Amino acid sequence: MTTASDRSSRKGIGASLTRKEDDRFLRGQGNYVGNIRLAGMRDLAFVRSPVAHGRILEIEKPAGREGDVYTIDDLAGVRPILAASGLPGFKRSEQPVLAREKVRHVGEMIAMCIADTRAEAEDLAGETYVDFDELPAVVDMLAGREPGAALLHEHWGDNVFLETHIDADLEDIKARAAIHVHRRLRTARQSMAPMEGRGVVAYWDKRLAQLVVYTSAQMPHINRTGLAECLGLDEGSVRVISPDVGGGFGYKGILLPEEVCVAWLAMHLGHPVRWIEDRREQLVANTNCREHHYDIHAYADRDGRLLAVDCEAHVDSGAYSSYPFSACLEAAQVASILPGPYKMERYRCRTWSVATNKPPILPYRGVARTGVCYAIETIMDAVAAEAGLEPYEVRLRNLVLPQEMPYDNITHKHFDSGDYPEAVRRAVRAIDLPAVRERQRRGEADGRLIGFGLAVFCEQSAHGTSVYHGWGIPMVPGREPAGLRLTPDGILEVRAGVHSHGQSMETTLAQIANEVLGIDPQRVRVVLGDTGTTPYSTGTWGSRSIVMAGSAVGRGCKELRERLLHVGAWLLGEPLDAVRWEEGGVAGTSGRFELAELTRIWYLQPQRLPVDVHVGGLEVHTTYQAQRDSGAFSYACHAVVVAVDPELGKTEILDYAIVEDGGVLINPMVVDGQVYGGTAQGIGTALYEEMAYSEEGQPLASTLADYILPGATEVPSIRIEHMESPAPYTEFGQKGIGESGAIGSAAALASAVNDALKPLGAEVSRMPLSPRAVLEALARSEAATAARAQPEEAFV
Amino acid sequence: MKQVNLTVNGKAVSALVEPRTHLADFLREQRLLTGTNIGCEQGVCGACTLMVDGVPTRSCIVYAVACEGAEVRSIEDFDHDPVMTQLRAAFSAEHALQCGYCTPGMLATARDIVTRLPDADEERIRQELSGNLCRCTGYVGLVRAISRVLDERRNLAVA
Repeated sequence: MTTASDRSSRKGIGASLTRKEDDRFLRGQGNYVGNIRLAGMRDLAFVRSPVAHGRILEIEKPAGREGDVYTIDDLAGVRPILAASGLPGFKRSEQPVLAREKVRHVGEMIAMCIADTRAEAEDLAGETYVDFDELPAVVDMLAGREPGAALLHEHWGDNVFLETHIDADLEDIKARAAIHVHRRLRTARQSMAPMEGRGVVAYWDKRLAQLVVYTSAQMPHINRTGLAECLGLDEGSVRVISPDVGGGFGYKGILLPEEVCVAWLAMHLGHPVRWIEDRREQLVANTNCREHHYDIHAYADRDGRLLAVDCEAHVDSGAYSSYPFSACLEAAQVASILPGPYKMERYRCRTWSVATNKPPILPYRGVARTGVCYAIETIMDAVAAEAGLEPYEVRLRNLVLPQEMPYDNITHKHFDSGDYPEAVRRAVRAIDLPAVRERQRRGEADGRLIGFGLAVFCEQSAHGTSVYHGWGIPMVPGREPAGLRLTPDGILEVRAGVHSHGQSMETTLAQIANEVLGIDPQRVRVVLGDTGTTPYSTGTWGSRSIVMAGSAVGRGCKELRERLLHVGAWLLGEPLDAVRWEEGGVAGTSGRFELAELTRIWYLQPQRLPVDVHVGGLEVHTTYQAQRDSGAFSYACHAVVVAVDPELGKTEILDYAIVEDGGVLINPMVVDGQVYGGTAQGIGTALYEEMAYSEEGQPLASTLADYILPGATEVPSIRIEHMESPAPYTEFGQKGIGESGAIGSAAALASAVNDALKPLGAEVSRMPLSPRAVLEALARSEAATAARAQPEEAFV
Repeated sequence: MKQVNLTVNGKAVSALVEPRTHLADFLREQRLLTGTNIGCEQGVCGACTLMVDGVPTRSCIVYAVACEGAEVRSIEDFDHDPVMTQLRAAFSAEHALQCGYCTPGMLATARDIVTRLPDADEERIRQELSGNLCRCTGYVGLVRAISRVLDERRNLAVA
């Protein structure tokens, strides 16, 4: 490496630099969409459906205020939201931004009401009367496929958005497999629940003839494309600004019907319009995630080596296909990543994306991987039990080995690097498994049961074009751009189309600039979230930003460095190959020029330079695409010890260790923060969070008192150990790990709880493993034991 | 509309408010003090926690009209507060914030913990924090930051 990067390494790649963005948040100066105040701004509230499925017979606007209430009939020219998967057989669902004729889930928007304050707008919404002809609701995805089920989109003829097949003949394997295990598993529907909800403020800029939309969004450029489509505008007439975003996790990766409504109304009325989602709207009406059902078989030899996995998976996609990810990304991902980090001879998987009378889904942090990891790790535990092996031993026998890297797995995933078995060995050591097993044998004085669980997985981050095209999503990411500009006083402006909603991109992108240019991160200004000033990008999701935008910024800085060397060489009167970039300036044998001197001369004293010095200037636009676009694979092993109370069904986490490989870490502090936070979310998935519905399709969790998020007393201290296998195909060897924590944690906890219950013959087959689910499993096990015991008693 | 007289960040304020307006909305919409973030409007998440008469209070479940004569301090009023200065430095050093949305409420609770419970251990800190939800950090950095300030203050007291 160069001397420059060595000398500046404390602020560059690998430094746990404190964050540039902290100061404003710590002083209450964060600018979230709800903080924006525009002159003449008025508030919007929506009339939302109280029924899950029904025909709208009549909408009666409040007498005397008809002009302040709008229905779909008033929104002339507004097109419905359409997110069509490119996968063959996909059935389209058009989502009108306000309901037309039918409602398909509780909370679907029927009308919008404008007033001076939100409270008054809600009064108007409360006075708007809607009459329905209620229809039977499809609440369960399996029931939705039964003949005679009510139909959400009648012209489909069924309720299946898409069915996919990966076929294989398993007959010979079934004949020779010593071990065959089978599980039926279910994950709960969840709400992603960022602390800040969604929100939109829009106005029409008369001077620029442009719609300006402030929105709490992860991918503002995509929202701009979608808004233009729905409103019939060209994209030049739309500017989307996503200011500070109070958490995303996937919840804000969507074109909202609310965005279209607010934007249309702002154009129609000529004054700014605001809608800020409240928590009840978020929980009752807006997108959920992650409701899966797995019917999974594994076949293995007597040593626990996998021969084949066979799975039928269902995903509850809700009523509509969300823009841009579609209703089927989740199921497509299930099919392609279910084999996990394991080797096997044969693989078969069928998936169904089922429409139900519930809000649409979006990919939540980890997307399908969290459910998939739960399914495959549960079946691996079952194989271990049949083979009479420790669960970690079965993993070691089936994981891809380091000497096999890079490895193309059974679904053609290209695992790029790493030592998966070593992660397992280290995690087992970190948790001191022999001591845990001894404690289990000893038993607890309080009668609680100790359980150990682990989960190992790899995460394809920064997937490239071909991967997303293969999953059929209508928005396929390509080359990631970055714009960089030096100012006359030597400030580096970095403009990236990705966003940051906690990921610390303002800091980490500045660290990459420091690594290449030696510039102090405080002199790097990172601009994100504004389509008016940043290059087009598909945004922040899929653990892609540090790989894609980070690499683009790195390349841009290298290009700037090259140009500055030309300028410096000329000023020093030395040949280009005699000068070098060192400590943030150009150094030659006769002297040096600092960055700020070079920029000042370039912009303000051009008479000192020849006309042909390097005419590119000190502003560059670069794009990045990995050498191969099959993704950078991070991986991890989560190991956890729990105590389960068999009387109360309550689980306490006693110890938690993670061994993680994110390749070259740009900022280890930030990486740890992502892993801790993701793990806390996985703990919520495993133990607490459930968006339940009644048989009529009524949501049963409408407040944060019903939808339980883990707090400081539920999340333990977590230990993280890092391994480092640099990604072979990325600019600095970095891998994405933004979702990692949320992937393995739920599976590891399920494994641990079931390990604790094993002596009682009970196993929980659903998430969350709530006290109720544990007690039900124990009751089933007691009933089964009693049933087995009965004939003997009768005989006696 | 109803008249209410109170002190907001050291300034006497007289305002007309709707009886149904909660304190957080009053501060944000009428006083333009947007540092107080709203998370659930039900008193569960703690994002809107601020100080009323020196006590951490959820401003989403207090009506503005009920604050007659009260002394309200929001996050904007703590730039010269030495405890808050310590906490802010510790929050940054321990990466106790990511998206920043829960942060003002967390700081209000954290300030209360370090001033009221100088001997709090990790378990007590976690219990005291249990009324403030964070969706980003897993609480690891938050607990460490508060512990760090408690340590610093204990060391200072010994010195």
